[in-house]
Formats: sequence, structure tokens, C-alpha cells
Amino acid sequence: MTARAIMNLRSILIASAVFRLVLILYGEWQDAHMEVRYTDVDYLVFSDAASLMASGSSPYKRTTYRYSPLLAFLLIPNSFLHRAWGKFIFSASDLLVGYFIYKILKQRKVAEDLCLYSVMVWLLNPFTFTIGTRGNCEPIVCAMILWILICLMNGKIIQAAVWYGLVVHFRIYPIIYALPIIVVLDPRYVQLGKKPLLVNWKSNTQKPSSQSSEEASTRYNLWTAAKSMFSRERILFGLVSGGIFFLCTGLFFHLYKWEFLNEALLYHLTRADPRHNFSIYFYHIYLHYGHQLSLVEKLISFLPQSMVQLVLISSFAQDLPFCFFLQTVAFVAFNKVITAQYFVWFFCLLPLILPWSDMKLRWEGLSCVGLWMGAQLHWLLWGYLLEFRGQNVFLQLWMASLVFLLANAAVMAVFIRRQGCSPIFLQMKVRDAKGGVKSE
Amino acid sequence: MLPGDPNLQLTLSGLERRLIGEGSHRHLSSTIQIQVPPQSFPLQSCKLVMIERLPSGVFADPFELDHLFHHGAYAGIGVFGDTNLELPSVSSNRSAVEIHMNFEHNISSGAMSELGIRIDLPLHARYAPLHESGYSEVAFGMPDLLVNCSMEGGSEMRSCLIVPSHDSNRLRTDVVWKIPCGIMSHTNVVSVVTFATAFVSTLVIVFASVLYPKPR
Repeated sequence: MTARAIMNLRSILIASAVFRLVLILYGEWQDAHMEVRYTDVDYLVFSDAASLMASGSSPYKRTTYRYSPLLAFLLIPNSFLHRAWGKFIFSASDLLVGYFIYKILKQRKVAEDLCLYSVMVWLLNPFTFTIGTRGNCEPIVCAMILWILICLMNGKIIQAAVWYGLVVHFRIYPIIYALPIIVVLDPRYVQLGKKPLLVNWKSNTQKPSSQSSEEASTRYNLWTAAKSMFSRERILFGLVSGGIFFLCTGLFFHLYKWEFLNEALLYHLTRADPRHNFSIYFYHIYLHYGHQLSLVEKLISFLPQSMVQLVLISSFAQDLPFCFFLQTVAFVAFNKVITAQYFVWFFCLLPLILPWSDMKLRWEGLSCVGLWMGAQLHWLLWGYLLEFRGQNVFLQLWMASLVFLLANAAVMAVFIRRQGCSPIFLQMKVRDAKGGVKSE
Repeated sequence: MLPGDPNLQLTLSGLERRLIGEGSHRHLSSTIQIQVPPQSFPLQSCKLVMIERLPSGVFADPFELDHLFHHGAYAGIGVFGDTNLELPSVSSNRSAVEIHMNFEHNISSGAMSELGIRIDLPLHARYAPLHESGYSEVAFGMPDLLVNCSMEGGSEMRSCLIVPSHDSNRLRTDVVWKIPCGIMSHTNVVSVVTFATAFVSTLVIVFASVLYPKPR
């Protein structure tokens, strides 16, 4: 990094850190002096679970604690150091995400100013800085996912696998990234013990940079991946990540028995909340609550999600950050329960794809932002009338959730249309069946 | 401890109950007045114990009440029964809240006194069973009231627990909470349109993925 670049990134990180510190301190003041808390109710759940763990009890004795015991373990210092310890951890993870965004983009030779703008898209997002300072743990998950990307970009397959197993244990949703990671671990592109060749960013005004003559001209597809599915790299990644996941699951099952499995894992897999949320399914679930859904109904609600995930992986797996981004937006949008904290799952990936987008801020970018925010605000308006004015607006609220899903789909379509889909890896020399090296 | 003095008869002279606020989060406000007849010994202090048996369909958040307790809103608070905050009312059981409040004034002997207090209890509505009218009505009953007074008798401090008798003409306790609920007749159209919208959104994304990606 140049001195100017260090100063700029450093300035942004320092300013963001100071701002987050101020917010944490303000949050402590508001909690102590006002009836309405700044702190997220989930943070109180984490803290209570942590103090139970500190006293040798199960964290699951705290009702509504539905996370890995690792989270409670991280927050044990809340009990003896300061109750805001966890908020500092989450905000530090938030800053780490900003740093990782810079690192990933720099490694792909993105122009300095674009790197810094992308970092600011994350660090200056109001949603981002409130979520960590209010005590939500999602920044930790985001940091882990970006670190996994960095490991893959540097050919550290085993390390990536360890962190991947850990993050899936921590928060189940990253399981959706398993297939694109396996697809991209093609031995033509990623080999054990070798640093893979990255496809660098090219601006629209630059001449094509001199790349290896073996630059990928053929597209991945699932068929290509299926043919070379059982490569050493893929098997290793699957075994290590699966091993870590089952090790953590087994260890905590041994410690906390079925309470852990039910609350930390099975609850999330089977969750169907009849209470109003952004999901299009909430009213359907409420109207059918207490009645067993037929197999057809269960399949119909499962099909859109799985179909979209498969198509996105098939189309975009080679551009791993873009694939992750689209998959996450789709996963959240089609989920049976959507709460606002899930949005941060794809907010952390958005800065990674912006340098490759042809979308101009004016007016296409602003239109996407306006459409997405507008659909959300529309839903919130009806939600307010239902929850805080006691008006029966279930039908209108449900229709607002339909509009929100359609808005998500439209924004995704615009992103896809405008993205210069760019494979993350260049083709390398590969081993032949006898272990010798040959060119493709 | 039961009172040793048979003349110690407290009378509930006024009980007014109101639901304050709108929507799913409200306060149940209870204004209580108790008449204290002249006493042989002065009452040092009195505490009111109110047991609110919540109807099915509403719940009190124990963590919220604990937060208020630490802010001095109550002298003591406890929630019993079903404290699951997430279940709709068809899947949940009833609960009860026990609230302790200190009366503000000391009562001297030899004069009729009146104790007054107001208790605000934050409550939340559960998702109600479906009803064609679109609203479910939840009615609150009369709370159980106990008064615990400490008094000086000679060199001893004694306390007594009294259930005030009440003059029903002065009680206004009808409180009904209308909670919006889902309407059964929406079921078919909601199911069909939900899945149709999911299908359309899927098609939008699939077509965009198939038609548009251009590798650089």
C-alpha cells in the first residue's frame, strides 16, 4: 500500500471506530436513563446466556437463546469486565469487515479510490454501524465469510475449510455457499499448496491488462464441475469443513444435550413464525397455524428458494463474491421469516461487487436503492398501523411483503444485467492423471 | 400474618382500570384507593400486593418488568405461568403477574385515612385466533389485592395482610382489549397469491440469470 492509501484507509477506519465508540457510550447512557433502550433485546439474551455459562450452567436456560454456545462464551467478559464488552467485539468485527473488503479488492488490483468508496459503502451504512453498536452479532459472521474468501483467494484451502465449518456451525445460512465453493475449487483454477491466479479488475477506460494466455474463456457450469467433482481440493475442503462442523456440534451436544440441538440448530431449520415480518409467507403461516401443512404446500414453499439458488450457482459460481451476494439476497428474500438483521448478510458482500458493476449511481443505482428502501418503508408503514395503532391491516401488510419480494427480485435482475461477471480465478497448469503437469 | 385487631378492616373505596395506548403494546393502569379506619396503633408503612391474572391473549414480558423494577417502578415484581413471548394465544397458556407497590404516606392513628396508588403494567398482545370480524376481544377480570402493613404495637413491629372488602358501586373494572386478528376467509386467496408471487419472482431471477450474465 502507498502512504497516501494507508492514511486514507486508516483515517476511514479510525473515524469509523471513534463513531462506533461514541454510539456504544450513548447506548449505555440511553439504556440507563430512558425507558426505551438503545440496546437490542437480543444482546440482553446473549448477555444472560453468557452469565449462565460463566456460572457453569447451560446458556439455553435463558429463554430465546438460539445461538451457538460459542457466542455466549465470547460474551463471558460481559459478566466480570463490562456489560458492553460484546458490543465492542461486534463493532470491532464490523471494522474488520471494512478492512477485509479493502484487502479483497486490493488483491484484485481494484483502483484505490474505488476500494475506499467500497469500504465506505459498508462502514458508513447507518444500518451497519447501528447493528454492531446495538449488540447484534451478525458482523462476526460477515467477518468470517470475508475471511473465507480471502483464504480461498490465497489458496489456503484448509484454513478456508476450518472457518467455513465454524461459520456454518455459528449461523446455518452460510451452508448455501457450499456448492459454489466446491464448484470454484476446480483443480484447473485452485490447487493445493499453490496460490491461485486471480482475475484482476479492469476499469472501462483501461486497456485489457496482460493476462496469462490461459485466461479462462470457457464458462463453468454444473456439468463441468460434476465431471471433475472428486478432486483432492474439493474432497479436502468438504472433509475438513464437515469435520469442524460435526466436531462443534458433537462437542456442544455432549455438553448441553438436546437443548443445544433444538435451540441452536433445529429451531432455525424448522422456524415458521406466524407473527408479521417481511416474508411473504407470514400471513399464510398465521392462517394455517395449528394445522398441518400438506406435503404439496411444503414443497411449493421450498421450490422457489431451491430453484433460485441452483440457477444462481449454475450461472455465477465462477464469480464467487457476486454469486455469494445474489445467493444471500435471494435466500433472505425467499425465506419463511425475514427480519431486518438478515440484510447485513448481503450488505457486507455488496462492496465486493460494485467495482465490477456498470450501474451508474445516477440514476439506476439510486432507483434500485429507492425501490428497495421504498418497498421496505411501505411494509413498515402497514406494520406500524397493525402493531402500534391496532388496526386490522393484515391483508395490506401481506401485500406489502409481496411488493418487497418483487422489489428484491427486480433489484437482483438489475444487478445481474449490469454486472460484468468476472471469474475470480485464472486457469493454472493442471496435474495429469500420473501427477505430471500439463497445460489445458 | 392475620391482623390481631378485629377493627382493622380496610375497604377498597375505588378501583379504576384503563388500558392506555394503542396497538399490540399497552399499559394496564389500575388506580386503587383504600380506606383505612382509625387504628389503635399507627401504621408505619403499607405495601400493596396486586395479583393480576392475565387473560389468554396477552402477556407480560418478564425482562421488561425486570428493567422497570431496576428503574424503581415497582417495589417487587414477578411473572408466573407461560412466559413464552413468541407463541400465538392458541398455543400458549395463561400467566399471572404479582406486583408489590409501596403506599407513599404513613398513616397515623386516630383518624380515617385513605391510601391511593396507581399501578401501570405494560402488556403485549399475542397473535389472536382467527375471527371473521377481524378482531378478538380480551377481557380483564378483577385483580386480587392484598395490603401488607407494618405497625408499632408496644415495642414490636408487626405486619398484617388484609384483603380489602369492596364497594362494587365504586369500582370501574371493565377493561376489554380488541386485538386485530387474521380472517379465515382470506386463507385461499392468500395461499394462491403468495405462491404465485414467489413463482413470478423466481422466473424474474431465472430469466435474468440465463439471459444477461456476460463474462468479462
